[in-house]
Amino acid sequence: MISASGALSGSYDYSEVANSVLIAMFASYAALDLAARVTAAKGGIRLAWLSGGAIAMGLGIWAMHFKGMLAFHLPVPVAYHWPIVLASLLLAILASAVALYVASRKKMGLVDASTGSVIMASGIAGMHYMGMAAMRLPATTQFSPHLVTFSVLFAILFSLVALLMAFDLREETKWTVPRRLGSATVMGLAVSAMHYTGMAAASFIPASPPDLSHAVSISPLGNSAVAIAALIMLLAAVTTSSVDRRQSEHRLRLVIDTLPAIVWSKSPDGSADFVNQRFREYTGLSVEEGLGWGWMRNAFHPEDRAEEEWRAAFAAGQPFEKEARLRRADGTYRWFLLRAVPLRDEQGRVVKWYGTTTDIDDRKRAEDELRQAQEDLARVTRGVAMGQLAAAIAHEVNQPLTAIVTNGNFCVRTLDGATSNPDELRAAITAIVNDGTRASSVISRIRGLLMKGSPNRTDLDINQIIQDVTILLRNEFTRNRVSLRTELPSDLPRVTGDPVQLQQVLINLIMNAIEATRTSTTGRREILIRSAKNLDDVLVQVQDSGPGIKPELAHRVFEPFFTTKEKGIGMGLSISHSIIESHGGRLGIAPSSTGALFEFTLPIDDAGVS
Amino acid sequence: MSEPESIVFVVDDDPSVRSAIKRLIGSMGLQVELFGSAQEFLASKLPNVPSCLVLDIRLPGISGLKFQSQLAKANIQIPIIFITAHGDIPMTVRAMKAGAMEFLTKPFHDQDLLDAIQLALERDRIRRQQEAELAVLRGRFESLTPREREVLPWVVSGRLSKQIADAIGTSEASVKVHRSQLIRKMAADSLADLVRMAEKMGIPIPK
Repeated sequence: MISASGALSGSYDYSEVANSVLIAMFASYAALDLAARVTAAKGGIRLAWLSGGAIAMGLGIWAMHFKGMLAFHLPVPVAYHWPIVLASLLLAILASAVALYVASRKKMGLVDASTGSVIMASGIAGMHYMGMAAMRLPATTQFSPHLVTFSVLFAILFSLVALLMAFDLREETKWTVPRRLGSATVMGLAVSAMHYTGMAAASFIPASPPDLSHAVSISPLGNSAVAIAALIMLLAAVTTSSVDRRQSEHRLRLVIDTLPAIVWSKSPDGSADFVNQRFREYTGLSVEEGLGWGWMRNAFHPEDRAEEEWRAAFAAGQPFEKEARLRRADGTYRWFLLRAVPLRDEQGRVVKWYGTTTDIDDRKRAEDELRQAQEDLARVTRGVAMGQLAAAIAHEVNQPLTAIVTNGNFCVRTLDGATSNPDELRAAITAIVNDGTRASSVISRIRGLLMKGSPNRTDLDINQIIQDVTILLRNEFTRNRVSLRTELPSDLPRVTGDPVQLQQVLINLIMNAIEATRTSTTGRREILIRSAKNLDDVLVQVQDSGPGIKPELAHRVFEPFFTTKEKGIGMGLSISHSIIESHGGRLGIAPSSTGALFEFTLPIDDAGVS
Repeated sequence: MSEPESIVFVVDDDPSVRSAIKRLIGSMGLQVELFGSAQEFLASKLPNVPSCLVLDIRLPGISGLKFQSQLAKANIQIPIIFITAHGDIPMTVRAMKAGAMEFLTKPFHDQDLLDAIQLALERDRIRRQQEAELAVLRGRFESLTPREREVLPWVVSGRLSKQIADAIGTSEASVKVHRSQLIRKMAADSLADLVRMAEKMGIPIPK
């Protein structure tokens, strides 16, 4: 059959063509899979994977190409010069090695990608045209320059796409296999398209019989053997890869699941996409129940489910630590420490959070016990000090009082009696006056002692002081099961004062409030601390849910030594009153619907007034 | 200068309290002496009249309670009324066990103090009277001859003269002489009176 142009017209065996396309797809899949393996491996193992992978992949591409050649039938006998065929195979392996190397690096820039694809394309094109050159047939081969150029460009384009796909798909996730299958199909078709374009570029003009030295003719058996060998090789590569992957995955999984902590990864907003088996073991929930926001909503103590706070922590994008109580399978809660670190992309955006949740309950309990012991000790010490103080006060104040009472009795007796000496009476009454003055000076001396230390005035934010004090007293709130509410507007003007003295006042008011809630008639134990801006001062209110103050006692509570408490010495409010007065403010009781409401004012800084 | 009928000592470190107490007790017509510390009190000469001590627990130097036991050791038997500004139960118990008359907390009711003082003075007066009586008896006993002292317990035991003579190995006649002599010397009105005297002096009586 000789066509008009004199060229031999060939025909394709379409089932062979189909086989070649399948081999191309299979080789592509292997290439993508192997790229991931090479990426995951390190050192000598990486080199082994790279060379083994290159051989398997090169063989695959070459087999596809050779199969494609054999699918083309010419009306003349065709033999192949085997050394050239062998060389083309080596070239295919080399090109595969380059491709795998580029796609498995940590980063692949545009330069890497283009260089890699040019090298890979040259290798593939080289292999193709070498394979054609290995043909020994009674004809000369002519090439259409356009189609050759087109096929080379096509090879470059295909290589680029293949490298990008391999790079993109090397991370192993849930959707890897289906995506790889899709990509492999596209790649396989592209390889085939390139090959058949190259074939189409050639036309064969009948000529004298060729030199058949080193030439072999390919029998149908040999044809199949090539394909089968290539397939077996690829299959072996993919199987080994998958076994190896499973082993290393299994190893990692074992490490993650046996770590003595709940290990997790979360998306940038904080919803979990992975939790390890420890989560299931501790909470008794399924791993799925820990995903999304389930790690918090299903496992946390209701009081610790502050979703807004957690979202804010994740949104801040900085590594952080937070404590929370987690429910154990048996229903008990234990304290855990969550530590999170973000993984960022090149632009610095958080792409993932990784972290652990560790049981710190025993440690925390020990810390709490230690703190409790310290507090108890402090309380005892304070109690002893109070006792000593009370004894001192009793003695110091009782002496003049005894003299006053005794002298007073003398006066009464004298006046009642028949004889009364005015001089004696005058002397006794003078003594009474003197002793009265003395008693009052003793009290102010003691008060001065309790307030010792010169005031240290600074410009301060009263809300900050309130917050400091509530943190300081956190244990007291917890121990007495009192819930604290604060209403602290952020736009308060600053005031001048001694932070330590103001803390003392607040501690006093809050401790009184806590004590008052214990005898709450409604059973509610609440304290509300509110701050507000008045015309020219700042107002702070402390309100409790206790029984309130009897109106007839209201004017007495600020007197020194007046107390309604069994163990009080009646100095707290008296001292607080003096402190607030010395700040130029007022401390008083305000009418309230529930409980007692103490309030004090502090003048606003002149400098702060706009 | 004649000795007063009775005297109240007040030991308190606070001068106003001291003078107020003096004024109060003085208004009842009692003699009062004031001291600022236990040492001052010990340094003074104590008159031999019914007296009592109003003592503050908290004193400079030695405490009131310690002072109480020192006085007991020195066999100074003066009734003590404690006054304290800050007393507790153990302190009170200790003071009362050691023989305190009263324990008053400052500021005290004037009547409580005055009652306690009256009681203390009365008790001291009785004690002094008993001691004086005993001293007289002992003087009389000292004036007896050795033989009369030997006979006295036998007489008190109610033995007949003959029995006494057998017991001490002498004649019935000389026992009778000793008996009448010792009854005269002891100024006993009757045998019963003599028995009471022997009891007071603690003389052992043979069975």
